[in-house]
Amino acid sequence: MRYQLLYQPVSTMAQFDLEQGEQLLVEPGAMVGMTPGLDMITGLAKQSGGGGIFGAITAAAGRLLAGESFFQNTFTATRGPEQLLLAHTLPGDMAMIDVQGAGLKLQSTAFVASTPGVQTTGEFGGARTFFGGEGLFLLSATANAPNQQILIGAFGGIQELQCNGSLVIDTGHLVAWDASLTFNVTKASSGWISSYLTGEGLVCSFQGQGRIWMQTRNPPEFGSKVGRLLPPRTN
Amino acid sequence: MQYEIRQRPNFSIARITFDAPGEELVVEAAAMVAKDSAVTMKTSMRGGLLGAAKRKMLGGESLFQNTFTATRAGETIWVAPAAEGDMAAFDMDGQQPLYLSSGNYIASGPGITLDSQFQGLKGFFSGTSFFMLEAKGQGPLLIGSYGGIHPVQVGPAGYIVDNYHIVAFTGGLQYNVRRVGGLKSIFGGSEGLVCHFHGQGTVWISTRSAASLARFLHPYRPVESKS
Repeated sequence: MRYQLLYQPVSTMAQFDLEQGEQLLVEPGAMVGMTPGLDMITGLAKQSGGGGIFGAITAAAGRLLAGESFFQNTFTATRGPEQLLLAHTLPGDMAMIDVQGAGLKLQSTAFVASTPGVQTTGEFGGARTFFGGEGLFLLSATANAPNQQILIGAFGGIQELQCNGSLVIDTGHLVAWDASLTFNVTKASSGWISSYLTGEGLVCSFQGQGRIWMQTRNPPEFGSKVGRLLPPRTN
Repeated sequence: MQYEIRQRPNFSIARITFDAPGEELVVEAAAMVAKDSAVTMKTSMRGGLLGAAKRKMLGGESLFQNTFTATRAGETIWVAPAAEGDMAAFDMDGQQPLYLSSGNYIASGPGITLDSQFQGLKGFFSGTSFFMLEAKGQGPLLIGSYGGIHPVQVGPAGYIVDNYHIVAFTGGLQYNVRRVGGLKSIFGGSEGLVCHFHGQGTVWISTRSAASLARFLHPYRPVESKS
């Protein structure tokens, strides 16, 4: 499967050229354009290792909980070479990242698409997120075949970091990280009051060795800056 | 008149230089950024009250458009769209019309006429209507979009584009509008209408959609108090 990232870094759009038989799993809403020969099947997000229909529903419910759509679209080039254009919502960059070893964790809204051998399930980033203004809802991605990749979409630029030991990142700036890293979500400062006063909300504290991708802008921060200037909503 | 698009692709702006006195440029309300002070401005409802009202209600354009007229050669005017994104310019040949999604029109020469066209809808479950602006005539036409503008040559196999991402397409294309997704649309999923294009021509696609930005921002609005 060949792909190109066009209009980087602000208006980035991904163009996939699929050979006959190739597949891509896509977040509903990400499809911008496509050749008509691509078959699109809307389905529940797949569950790894059996589990039957109950497992599939559990996985899908997890994705729903994680703020992702309940469904995932599978695009298949059944008849010949086809093209698919994908984009996400906010201005910013996209990147294809490899799913290695223990897999990846993703901030739920960062997922745009993946190769067919990737399974995603939703999970909470810990009970602490219940108390914070910004929740950390996660997708857990694992690969059941070699050379699997995920297309991530960010708000702003994408900065890859290497965690050697420990690292602290604001949850709103997190995009994805290697599942080999252990993490916990905490307040940025020691007390709730100073945490409130400084405006530094929740941070993710990582331990171990692995890759971390962060976005240079923070979607909830932007949302609340602009949102409070809008007229109130009734629903 | 001559034009050039600068600051591409994220914050594009067009600079138009008039060749002769009396030359006119029609500009969408609020799209004028700067001009030589001698360039005169006249506000009008193009196509009369009815034509303008139809364009506003159906095509999403403003009721009023401004006509800028040069008083001598070499005068300039700058025009830009509202959202961050790219612009595209077309030299219309008087043969083939161009269809624009509402809100993407920025400016045109006086030889270009705009009309709202109901594009029809083939689909049983859809309650959404679909209007486009038809631009016809001869001369320059400037459009702007949120995000990048990506041209796609429609081949014999055709091409499908999400409605919110259509910027413009050439008049020679046939198309029908339909809803995508089976299960998903029953559960109120996010993908809505798509346009399936056939024939020979070009579709220009925007890489971002203002509608999905609005959907992102909506939950952050304050909630109206009931009391």
